[in-house]
Amino acid sequence: MGSALHLRTTKRGRVALTDQALPAARAGSPAARAVDLRKTYGTGQATVHALAGIDVTFERGRFTAVMGPSGSGKSTLMHCMAGLDRPTSGEAWVGDLDIGKLDDKGLTQLRRDRIGFVFQSFNLVPTLTAGENVTLPADLAGKKVDKEWFDYLVGQLGIADRLTHRPTEMSGGQQQRCACARALINRPDLIFADEPTGNLDSNSSAEMLAFLRRSVTEFGQSIVMVTHDPRGASYADRVVFLADGNIVDEMRDPTPESVLERVGGLGA
Amino acid sequence: MWRVTIKGLLAHKLRLALTGLAIVLGVTFIAGTFVLTDTLHNTFDSLFGNVYQNIDFQVRGVAQFGSGGTATRNPVPESLVATVQRVPGVEAAEGSVTGYAQYIAPDGKAISTGGAPTLGLSFDPNAQISALRLVQGKDPTTPQQVVMDLGTAQKYGFKVGQSVRILLQGPTRTFTIVGLARFGTADNLAGATLAAFDTSTAQALMGEVGQFDTINVVAQPGADKTTVQRDIARALPRGVEVVTGQTVVNEATNAIGQALGFLNTALLVFAFIALFVGGFTILNTFSITVGQRTRELALLRIVGASRRQVFRSVLGEAAIVGLVSSLIGLGLGVLAAIGLEKLLSGFGVTLPSGPLVFEARTVIVCLVVGVGVTLVAAISPARRAVRIAPVAAVSAQQTEEEVPLRRRFTRGGIIFVVGVALLAWGLTAPAIALVGLGAVLIFVGVAMLAPAVARPMASVIGRPLARLLGTSGRLGRENSMRSPRRTAQTSSALMVGLALVSAIAVFGASLSRSATASVDNAISADLIVSTTNNAGNGNFSESVPQVASSVPGVTASTTVYGDQFEFRSSLESLLAIDTKEMSQTVILSTTSGSGAPALAAGDLLVDTTTANSDHLTVGESVPVKFALTGPQTMRIGGIYQPNALVGHFLVGDAFFVRHFQNPLPGAVLLKTDGSTGVQQAVARALAPYPNVKVQSRAQFEASESAQVNQLLGLVYALLALAVVIALIGIVNTLMLSVFERTHEIGLLRAVGMKRRQVRAMIRSESVILAVFGAIIGIIIGTGLGIALVSALHSQGITNTVVPTSSLVVFLILAALLGLLAASWPARRAARLDVLAAIAAD
Repeated sequence: MGSALHLRTTKRGRVALTDQALPAARAGSPAARAVDLRKTYGTGQATVHALAGIDVTFERGRFTAVMGPSGSGKSTLMHCMAGLDRPTSGEAWVGDLDIGKLDDKGLTQLRRDRIGFVFQSFNLVPTLTAGENVTLPADLAGKKVDKEWFDYLVGQLGIADRLTHRPTEMSGGQQQRCACARALINRPDLIFADEPTGNLDSNSSAEMLAFLRRSVTEFGQSIVMVTHDPRGASYADRVVFLADGNIVDEMRDPTPESVLERVGGLGA
Repeated sequence: MWRVTIKGLLAHKLRLALTGLAIVLGVTFIAGTFVLTDTLHNTFDSLFGNVYQNIDFQVRGVAQFGSGGTATRNPVPESLVATVQRVPGVEAAEGSVTGYAQYIAPDGKAISTGGAPTLGLSFDPNAQISALRLVQGKDPTTPQQVVMDLGTAQKYGFKVGQSVRILLQGPTRTFTIVGLARFGTADNLAGATLAAFDTSTAQALMGEVGQFDTINVVAQPGADKTTVQRDIARALPRGVEVVTGQTVVNEATNAIGQALGFLNTALLVFAFIALFVGGFTILNTFSITVGQRTRELALLRIVGASRRQVFRSVLGEAAIVGLVSSLIGLGLGVLAAIGLEKLLSGFGVTLPSGPLVFEARTVIVCLVVGVGVTLVAAISPARRAVRIAPVAAVSAQQTEEEVPLRRRFTRGGIIFVVGVALLAWGLTAPAIALVGLGAVLIFVGVAMLAPAVARPMASVIGRPLARLLGTSGRLGRENSMRSPRRTAQTSSALMVGLALVSAIAVFGASLSRSATASVDNAISADLIVSTTNNAGNGNFSESVPQVASSVPGVTASTTVYGDQFEFRSSLESLLAIDTKEMSQTVILSTTSGSGAPALAAGDLLVDTTTANSDHLTVGESVPVKFALTGPQTMRIGGIYQPNALVGHFLVGDAFFVRHFQNPLPGAVLLKTDGSTGVQQAVARALAPYPNVKVQSRAQFEASESAQVNQLLGLVYALLALAVVIALIGIVNTLMLSVFERTHEIGLLRAVGMKRRQVRAMIRSESVILAVFGAIIGIIIGTGLGIALVSALHSQGITNTVVPTSSLVVFLILAALLGLLAASWPARRAARLDVLAAIAAD
């Protein structure tokens, strides 16, 4: 754990190019927030409000789960917050950056240096080995891979002996852990995980969630996770419930039971 | 990012190979052309260097027309040899003559060379000076002896001591072969046949008694050559010059260089056409693969790849494909050059053998062009790749920002119009480069516009297939309508290929019809005596007209000559006709002045094209120049309707023979009394002259058309490569489509589609693609052909013919080729494992 903290300090110095705030000040500021965020598809009668004016704050160093039935706007919220999709109106902030004001180049840099992604369908590049997939963000940035951090991640995630394998030669759990290492390799401010356990068996799911939990607890990683699964949501510090593009409720220190009860109440 | 590019390429070797194949073929063509012409150039250089290595100077007539090795020169008097020999420092001087002598093979047929000269020449006993190196037998010393070139002897089985008949300017004669010789180091001179006689016999046979064409001079060892050359020059009369041996070598190699340069350019044009078509194939393949890799590219964008990195990645892939293909093409090109050389020698063009020449220029041109074409073709797909939104990796929605079709059509329309304008400008200028550029722009413009009609046309073309094949045909038709852009792009390559083929077909048919028409418009004779030489422009013995006209049943005979002269300082072809009986054999429609009387009076007749462009009227005097008699002034005696067979300038025979050295007849026109068997009788009478043939007018017209068709055949063969590349493009697209629709095909199989039906479905799609490209290509090609023909109207292509039957055949062939292109992808689709296909994502 000591080494992890040390590494994190190193990273602070490097990322300072976009964020001059002191560690203490940053600790207080939210990792990301949305202000009256709206996203509509179609026009006239056929208008669909995927996001109907959402105000939400994702705290730094916390693990936040986003829950809601299909079509509630979970994924749209995540895409807009991560700069993958443009909101129709409203503001999306990552740290102190208003990402609505960033051009494509700025968004690319944001994704590369400050955000990590984990998807339901793993989304590894099929032609690259596991090791190459992990270092891909660093390679793209033209950065030298921090060997110590790389070794630590693949060790913690248990894929050290799988590094020369192609994604097709690995189990779903191994692929997702590989994707997880890739999300962390550039030490992002924030990780967005979109149903990361959706394609995993219960054992692999538990391992994955435990790892995400540990990265929050041990080195203060900020994580936003979209999920369907009450058990998965129970690993989070806080659960935000969405329905029809609105935030309808939230819950601190959830347990599987309390989440299930709440979801049942929502009729999902 | 490079790692992603390279790993991606390695993971799709088949795709890489199919994409690269187009470039490989094009570059092979370029490399082969360069290596072949460089090698020939080099071997001819060393051959001539070898032949003239001992000759210090050559004395010859000053060039009358032209320059260097191809100039027209007058002979010099024999007495000059003694004059030159007396010059201090001269070791030896030998005169030589060159003229017409054609061997008759043991089977009685004249040995023709396919265009190379059939030379008779004087055998120079001085081995130091002679170009011939005796390898067997002895020198010719009597008027009955001849030395034959080794190449001809080997090919026709002649041996020393045998007798051989030789066609000459005068009557055919029989000689004894006393020796066999090489030309320098070669068995013969690029397919030319050589007959060497002793000097005085050669002079008599070539009609140059008391004269030499050249005098070759060797200087004494140690003599100052500059002084010797100056002293020889002082001893020479006006109109005779002395040049160094090196000058002669340079002139000879320059003349060869020009001929090879023409061959080089002609072949390169077809190589570039092939590469242009290849470019379309690559554009299409990359477009499809970028589409298929949308998720992967979007993922790279999510994990932090910039637009620039994605753009470079696609272009980098193209660069690697281009480089690898170009290198393979270079290697194959060397093999192709060896093959071409073998092919030429198979046709009897014995080329001097020499080491293959592989110039740095060949490598550079091949790499630059091969990689360049691939990169340019990949730019548009790379720009599409850049427009992929990152969110495409995680959502199913269509995120590619398509360029609005209207903008695309506007651009395509502008490019098309500019192309048409350039083409029109190029054809009227005339500037061949503009014509080429115009055609390229037209093709690009049409390719951009084609998606607009792709869906309705595919629907119409596919209707009969749907009716014929039921569900399979209907699905194939719908697949081809699914993406108009892809359908249009895939067909574009075939469109270009067929457009060129169709343009050539229109051009050829018009040329053929025009040639026939010009025969009808110019000749009223029943029989035409002309040379059997393949080139069709050879001359024959001056005794032929006499023999032919004295055959019973022949009522009139007109001898025709042809040569070159200078008209207002430009070199032109001149035709001469015997004026005595021309009214019965020749049709000359004069628009002003008179025909036969003016010719008999020694006037010059010009056609209306020349009269108009040069503003000439009857009675005017114009400056002309003849090689033999120098500058003259001629009166315009008449102006006639243009005719390709007659040409632009016409004189009477009496005038002609006075102004040309040893004129030989080019044709004899015979009028008969109509009785049967006259043609056979004339042929029998001319049996001793195997280099002439007797044809009726219909036969003559047919052979004119046959010549055009032979040329067309060659052009079609060269264009075939472009069509093959277009087919590879279709194969590639279908393979990628099958791969893309694995899931869908699996589903169809799961619900009961038979393998046979899957194959039929893929084949239907392929046929629709091919026919679509062919129809557009044929329409554009016909337009191009008509434009070309109308631009050449003044050059004698007076009839515009659209060969509908040929075009229909092309369309059917295209459909069959489409069927062929589908065979591999169809088999692959039919073999898909149903379960695996459905499981595939």
